[in-house]
Amino acid sequence: MSTALPSTRSFALPAARSVALPIALVVVWQLAGAASGNARTPLPTHVLAAALQLIESGELPLALLQSLGRVFTGFAIAAALAIPLGLAMGSFAGVERNVDPLVESFRPIAAIAILPLAILWLGTGTPAAVLIVAYAAFFPIVVNTVAGAKRINPTLLRAAATMGLSRLAIVRTVVVPGALPAIGTGLRIAMGVAWTAIVAAELAVGAKAGGGGSGGIGQMMFVFYAYSIELNRIVVCMIAVGLVALALDRALRAAMRWAMPWAAR
Amino acid sequence: MNGRVKLKLEGVGKRFDAGGTIAVQDVTLDVVQGEFLVIVGPSGCGKTTLLNILAGLEAPSAGSVAIDARPIRGPGPERGVMFQDYALFPWQTVWGNIAFGLRHGPAGDGLGAAGIDARVRSTVELVGLAGSERKYPHQLSGGMRQRVALARLIANEPEVLLMDEPLAALDAQTRIILQEELLRIWGQDRPASERRTVVFITHAIDEAVFLADRVAVMTSHPGRLKAVIDVPLPRPRNDATRALAESQALAQRIWGLIRDEAYRATVT
Repeated sequence: MSTALPSTRSFALPAARSVALPIALVVVWQLAGAASGNARTPLPTHVLAAALQLIESGELPLALLQSLGRVFTGFAIAAALAIPLGLAMGSFAGVERNVDPLVESFRPIAAIAILPLAILWLGTGTPAAVLIVAYAAFFPIVVNTVAGAKRINPTLLRAAATMGLSRLAIVRTVVVPGALPAIGTGLRIAMGVAWTAIVAAELAVGAKAGGGGSGGIGQMMFVFYAYSIELNRIVVCMIAVGLVALALDRALRAAMRWAMPWAAR
Repeated sequence: MNGRVKLKLEGVGKRFDAGGTIAVQDVTLDVVQGEFLVIVGPSGCGKTTLLNILAGLEAPSAGSVAIDARPIRGPGPERGVMFQDYALFPWQTVWGNIAFGLRHGPAGDGLGAAGIDARVRSTVELVGLAGSERKYPHQLSGGMRQRVALARLIANEPEVLLMDEPLAALDAQTRIILQEELLRIWGQDRPASERRTVVFITHAIDEAVFLADRVAVMTSHPGRLKAVIDVPLPRPRNDATRALAESQALAQRIWGLIRDEAYRATVT
């Protein structure tokens, strides 16, 4: 669905072009870091060494998998609740009138702000983290689904009505596919938000548990920060978080393209 | 026209937002079972509004409208609509669009999957879409989209076909071919009792004369019925019909009824 401008240099290798900027940034980082003269400044070379070590020991993959599991669970719960609710709100004015004020008054409350409640109710383990993720991911999906359901060309709804479809059948056959692009956008935003929320939640839960056993990438960062002050390792975690988010977004986009073969590329 | 009244409009008026513009005023008209009625008139004469009222998509603000003597209170599958902007579902292929009403609406009740496929197949061939079944609407030209919309309407086999400028986007040749196809689908070779009832909007006066049993001429501001002209040309109609002096004379007469307003519309 991207409408990129036509390239003026179509002969360069596409792969080379897409990594050129990151490589340039790493080079600048290395040079600037070395020039700073501060021994504690993390340099790309040191970070790479720390990354290899953390991968080899299995710590980083394990932490990432733990966090990913929580993200997927929370994300799935959020989508399962938010998509039907958003469709109902976008299709039936009565539902929207009643639910919208609730959604809009909870939406500004940051996911991390419900952490105290989550910990009190669910403890410092996975359920609390999943709740935070689900809460954070819920709102972008609802808001985008409602917008998508309302933006459907009204003539399409009329066309279905003239073919004798019931309102429920129209929601299923017209509103759902018509809102799918917007739902996809909501899911992509929600995935990013979920990933942000899990790192924050694990960092905070890590603090509460005093480095206990809740695990996850966020808690790993907390441990490197609070107990060993290993900046290189913290940077490894940051980069890992970013790369995983990138991969998740690409996967979601691919899934959307697969689910919407009609959308022009 | 003699015969059983299929659609009955009595003093129908439509005013958008209280005190606002009057789109349609005091239209009284009977459409007989099996009749091909064409509505012509300048832009803004309320043709589309009238069609929407018949479809049950808009309620009249004055008067009454009925099908088979029952008041029309909303849309129904016995009244199929072909919309001016086609209203194709972008997420459905050509095949999926044509099959839509059969799969999801009452039009396909009792047909079964094989029956639906057979109906879609024959409709696809009828409108000349063979080979494009798997394409999506955005991959089609305007004329092809119009054929899909026409095919979707026909596949549902409604008793009444309400068509809003259904051939306007076609090139002249295709248009002539589809006009004859349309008459065949409508049932011009069958007795009037076995024909469907058609209400057809067009800008093209020659098209109106070629297709219609009667032409309803409307004027604008507000949209009113100016005259209903009988078109006594013999059926079945074909290329020879177009060349008849009588066809030309009827077209001239209808043009005479709307000429002044049409000129005014181009000036203002």
